[in-house]
Amino acid sequence: MSDLALEFIEVTQTIGDGLFFGTTYALIGVGFTLIFGAMGKLNMTYAAAALAGAYAGLAAFTFVNAPAPVVFLISALASGLLGGVVYVTCFRFIPINNHLAALMASIGALFFIDEIVVHTTDGSPLTFPALFDDVMFDVGPFGIRGDLLFVLAVNIAGTIGLLYVLYRTRLGLATRAVSQQDVAARLCGIDVHRTNFITFVLAGLLGGIAGSMTASAVGVLSPLITVPLTVKGLIVSVIGGLGSIPGAIAAGLLVGGLENVFLYFRGVNERDMYVLLLLFVFLVFRPHGIFGSAIERD
Amino acid sequence: MSTTKLVAAALAIMVASFFMPAHPVVAAERTVKIAAWGAKSGPLRSFGVNSEAVLKGAMKAINDSGGVKLGDGTMAKMEFTYYDSACNADQAISIARKVESQTQALVGIGPTCSGAAAAMYGIFQKKVDDKSDTGLQFPILTDTAIRPGLAKKSQWTFRNVPNEITMYDALFKWLRSKYPDVKTIYGGTETDQAHSRITFAAVIVQKAKKYGFEWVGGGIEGVTGKVIKGMKNVLKVSKSSNWLLADTNFSVQARAFKRSGADMMIISSHPFTTCGMLKELRRQRIKPKVLVGLTSSSSAETLKGCSAAAEGIYIPTGFAPITPAAAKVAAAAAANGGAADLHSAAAWENAHIIKQVVEATGVMAKPGTLKADRRKVRDGLEALAKVNGLMGEIGRVQDEGESIKPYVFVQAQKGAWKVVHDPR
Repeated sequence: MSDLALEFIEVTQTIGDGLFFGTTYALIGVGFTLIFGAMGKLNMTYAAAALAGAYAGLAAFTFVNAPAPVVFLISALASGLLGGVVYVTCFRFIPINNHLAALMASIGALFFIDEIVVHTTDGSPLTFPALFDDVMFDVGPFGIRGDLLFVLAVNIAGTIGLLYVLYRTRLGLATRAVSQQDVAARLCGIDVHRTNFITFVLAGLLGGIAGSMTASAVGVLSPLITVPLTVKGLIVSVIGGLGSIPGAIAAGLLVGGLENVFLYFRGVNERDMYVLLLLFVFLVFRPHGIFGSAIERD
Repeated sequence: MSTTKLVAAALAIMVASFFMPAHPVVAAERTVKIAAWGAKSGPLRSFGVNSEAVLKGAMKAINDSGGVKLGDGTMAKMEFTYYDSACNADQAISIARKVESQTQALVGIGPTCSGAAAAMYGIFQKKVDDKSDTGLQFPILTDTAIRPGLAKKSQWTFRNVPNEITMYDALFKWLRSKYPDVKTIYGGTETDQAHSRITFAAVIVQKAKKYGFEWVGGGIEGVTGKVIKGMKNVLKVSKSSNWLLADTNFSVQARAFKRSGADMMIISSHPFTTCGMLKELRRQRIKPKVLVGLTSSSSAETLKGCSAAAEGIYIPTGFAPITPAAAKVAAAAAANGGAADLHSAAAWENAHIIKQVVEATGVMAKPGTLKADRRKVRDGLEALAKVNGLMGEIGRVQDEGESIKPYVFVQAQKGAWKVVHDPR
């Protein structure tokens, strides 16, 4: 095989791996964007709560030897619960137009949750159960990790489930109504606080899936990844367009793929620089992101 | 009594009580105070937890055996306060300043991270008795921060950490004899961690070269086998096989390892990414003949995170519970909620070194003698040529403040670190 062909295979494999891993970024980005869409506010605790949920799942694995699917389920439920707690503590009682206070409260909660995890685990990396960890599909010259295929499938299912809730249920209708015009929604009899609470729980459930899938893809869980995952989630939601779920998915895949390409060609020291440059380019030339609406929120 | 008199009396009592000591004046029990600091929060918390646990055990052992003999023959208890510097240079510096100016501590132990230590050592007086240098005059005996060559920054800073240059030299010499058919090496490191990066690029690759292990593709320009030589080129050729401390995706790096086809692979990183990388190597079915890791990964954390994937990895370490003393420390650490490893076990040795120095230099441990006592401890640490450590005799490089510790080579086998070579 010629060098060019080998290089082509290598680059294609690199992009493919990045896209698969990008699904976890997409799911984190969707969580950020969901809450921003509903309240017009950034919930900085999102990734921390997602990983804390994964730790709860890991506790079930460690102490009662729960099987991997149960671990993922517990992760999602715990993260959903945490989402509700974060709403009540950081958003519920802060006036809707005080964006800075809510942002600062959620940043504080991010570090608080992270430190609870650190103090509980002493910061040690812990083995996280994975399904199909040792499975590798050889497709011609390419290799596809079985566990990442599983992550992709779960993430797709999670996103479809979310879209179903948003577009096919009364709760979704209420969520969209509150996100578009909360005063009008209130006049229509929608309980805005209840809707926001449920949105946080819903986003939390999704975050728990993302957290456990990320941990599952690495095979190890550590509080080290909280802040990088938060940053990735923010980048993805901004590039995708704050408030746009399809945008977050597309941006998650884009960031995952490009990250690997930059790593392959330029090395790890420059990788994040290019990703941040991409964010900068979007902020300057397309501030509403890939699919974000140019129409201002009321 | 009128209201005015009542108020005046109350005020008088408050003022008097403010100036009175909190406890009755009795012959105060003298103590040798130590300040220790390391990462007790943040992702590297386990390092601080382990050091504190070991230190607690050491204090108990010293105090149970009568304490420390002061200059006037009085026996004093030893006590320590552990501060959280969180692997942060600013916090480590703040603690050093606070401890030096606001506490009665005679000496400090810490910090955890090499980056924090490098910055912190910079605020200490460089040369003793240099009146033009207003840096801190407070002795430090570091237990964990391991990056080579840091203690010589100041004559007040000392370290009791394994010497990686010596250890990797001996490791590759041993591997050469054990694996004569192994020719080529390849590896990667977490480039945002100074210890991992510098040890990989300035020590490990050079020592491998020294014993005839060649980087795949005909070697690296400038790498001659001498420490530091060609360091920049090492990082350049390994740019696609390196990663960062918080990375979660290692597929590109693992494929670079695979493409290299090297006989020996080196993973120079801390437990979290060591595990991430090892798991990815396993997924991609990469099985080198020999796998070598960074000293810091020879810990319980790595086995907790990925014992199966780590199977077979060789790491040199300055601690293993293979002597009665080391086994005792391992048990004491476990009893105090921590683990003894090559980093934390040094805290035990440090407490005993301080005891030895205090007794040898006639420290008085009185409030009025604090400055003189700190100086005595510093001079005593500098004068030490040899001390007894947990694994054997620890030599000292007096003019650099460094130590030469005994070491062994361990290998991950069935979820435990087994000593596979003991050159002591």
